[in-house]
Amino acid sequence: MTATLGYTCLILALALALWGILAPILYSNSTTHQQRIFTAIRLGIVGQFVFVTLAASTLIYALVTTDFSIQYVAFNTTRNTPVYYRVTGLWGALEGSLLLWEWILIIFSALVAWIYKDQHRDLVPWVLMIFSIVSAFFLAVIAFASNPFEIMSPIPADGRGLNPLLEDANMLTHPPLLYTGFVGLTVPFAFAMAALITGKLDERWIVTTRKWTLIAWFFLTLGNLVGAWWSYHVLGWGGYWAWDPVENAAFMPWLPATAFLHSIQVQERRSMLKVWNLSLIFLAFSLTIFGTFLTRSGILSSIHAFASGPVGSLFLAFLAFVLLSSFGLLAYRSGQLKGQPELDAVVSRESAFLLNNVVLVSALFTIFLGTIFPLLSEAIVGVQVSVGAPYFNSVTAPLFLFLVFLMGVGPMIAWRKASWDNLRRNFLWPCIVSLIVGMGLFIWQIRSFMPLLGFTLIAFVIFTILFDTWAAVRARHRIAGEGLFRALRTLVSRNQRRYAGLVVHLGVVLVVMGIVGSMSYSVEREATMQRGETLEVDPYTVRFDAISGSEQPTHFRVEGNFRVFNNGTDLGTMSPALKFYPSQKSPIGRAVHHMTLGSDLYLILSGFSELTQNQATLKVLVRPLVSWIWVGGLVMTLGTIIAIWPMRRKSEQ
Amino acid sequence: MNRRRRFIIGAIIILAALSYLIYGGVKEAMVYFITPTELKAQEAIPGDKFYRVGGMVLAGSLKKNLQSRTFQFQLTDGVQTIPVYYQGVPPDLFREGAGAVIEGRVRQDGVFNATTIMAKHSEEYSPKKEGHTELRSFLPGKEQGAR
Repeated sequence: MTATLGYTCLILALALALWGILAPILYSNSTTHQQRIFTAIRLGIVGQFVFVTLAASTLIYALVTTDFSIQYVAFNTTRNTPVYYRVTGLWGALEGSLLLWEWILIIFSALVAWIYKDQHRDLVPWVLMIFSIVSAFFLAVIAFASNPFEIMSPIPADGRGLNPLLEDANMLTHPPLLYTGFVGLTVPFAFAMAALITGKLDERWIVTTRKWTLIAWFFLTLGNLVGAWWSYHVLGWGGYWAWDPVENAAFMPWLPATAFLHSIQVQERRSMLKVWNLSLIFLAFSLTIFGTFLTRSGILSSIHAFASGPVGSLFLAFLAFVLLSSFGLLAYRSGQLKGQPELDAVVSRESAFLLNNVVLVSALFTIFLGTIFPLLSEAIVGVQVSVGAPYFNSVTAPLFLFLVFLMGVGPMIAWRKASWDNLRRNFLWPCIVSLIVGMGLFIWQIRSFMPLLGFTLIAFVIFTILFDTWAAVRARHRIAGEGLFRALRTLVSRNQRRYAGLVVHLGVVLVVMGIVGSMSYSVEREATMQRGETLEVDPYTVRFDAISGSEQPTHFRVEGNFRVFNNGTDLGTMSPALKFYPSQKSPIGRAVHHMTLGSDLYLILSGFSELTQNQATLKVLVRPLVSWIWVGGLVMTLGTIIAIWPMRRKSEQ
Repeated sequence: MNRRRRFIIGAIIILAALSYLIYGGVKEAMVYFITPTELKAQEAIPGDKFYRVGGMVLAGSLKKNLQSRTFQFQLTDGVQTIPVYYQGVPPDLFREGAGAVIEGRVRQDGVFNATTIMAKHSEEYSPKKEGHTELRSFLPGKEQGAR
């Protein structure tokens, strides 16, 4: 019954999506009924929204009431599962997560249909058509290839439940955030395609899509950072990023999206890079589809991979369709997209943006290459050769450090041609101060090249931002006679985009600081300890006190108790554990960490003696500056909120 | 023309730098997936390449020293067998007769020096009804443990 309702909703939504694809053609051919067809198109989107929402709610209802007559429910929940993890079962496996994707997609398209009911009358039908095409694809895949409403017979007494690793609070946020980011990139894609189809290639669609792209970018950033936090916090290996194919798939769309947010400003200001900007949007959207293909096809081994099936090849076909139609259309319209190609000078804001784009796209290319390397090598030389984290680290580190440098230069350098005066005014002091910081670090103890360069560049960016803001605040204070804090507020509200961008940059360099610190100066020790024995990892001392076992609702938990001291200061007991789930062959570790802004202490229980309870094997990690990754993430969030926040002044649009 | 030439020179410089980065990165990080038979057939110079070898831990071959946490065993694919040395803490699933994937280099004496051992999770595993009973009998409750 429930299954029939859900499935019927999917089919009805699919029918409306097909209407959404056909209708714009009627719309453009009709001269007399345009208004009515336009209303019908919008109603079609509303209808899709209602039916998909109903379908998703039906599945959530089935999960919450543990209706095991539906196979998806039986596989992803149990009678013991707490209610909120039953709800997260919606994105716990392939079928449900596709439905979540479709749901978010249709929410976005309904928002677009609602917001632009009077604006962009010529574009919106086509924008909604692109949405309907994507929606029709997803609905067809869900309905015919991976149906979440598949009936289970006979009805099992209890379900199988989520993978225990997924039973974590982050499961509530990480997948929906990431999916919102992915799906959000459909909005700029749809606008770009609509502009190409109609040939109305003025700057309007750019202005409209900038904020949408920013929102998608924001969710993508947050989704990736929460994923990193989850990995660090829960997966118990002390790392936050493994360059796993699925992580790369989630990160890759972020790169062209970031590039777009920068190069779009060059088009707004100077009418340059039109073809390039469209390409970036197509690339970002295609990569979200590619990511789904990669993770759902099972062609690469990964801890995240879901079961393989026909879904992978369907996504590959759709990816080919997207790439061919978007870049084909771009080639067809390229005659209309001639911009001003001329760079006035190499030392200018434009060229900083250009370099930013080159670096981001290069990073994308190298990460893409590394991710599909096993497939390439298999195809070309017949041996599977993979490149692991060392490849990604060594290749992307110089690129990202260069990007940090550009983050200091770009926002301060003049458009067109930077004069000596401009350079001296904006960069002399930040250069001097950051060089002093660099030398100080060298004298202190940071001697290897990459981290030293990294920290110096980070200091450079921070000082350019502080110096520039301080100079502007002081000028207002002097000229307008405002108090310092008030002057800052006026500045931010008058130059919302600029200061929002600077705050985001500040967040990014803090994240980079955490990455550089933890990559370069982590200490790792592993030892088998007897009760009462201590292990010294500067500046910490860890004493093994006891081991104990306890019965939990879903598993059996073995916990080691370790007393931890920092330079003699008692930090209390830390208890890393191993969790034995009946459904899992090997135990799942539960690492614990003690966080400070300076460095994290991270304990992993990797073994114990079952017979005597006197022995435990412990892995101790000291990871400097990791916390700054999360701090930086918060700062980036703040910056994006400033950017999106509607301010009084209307001149922004 | 001048502009075009400058553009081409710029592109070449960027591509060259990128290729150099990628080449260096790949050379440093390549891992070959092979079987013990393929490894034997390689006759590679020891220590030269980083391999990931998949196989089974030969029953009766495991010698472990818990004090120094060293493990010696034979890894087999049913045709060929290679000697393996490992120091560290192997994963919980690691045992004789079970599948394992090892990563590392071949030492001068022909022994494979594994830096990582990954146990293979077999798909057809079905859990025991009672869960980990053997653990419960060995481990006391919390109160006792704290004593």
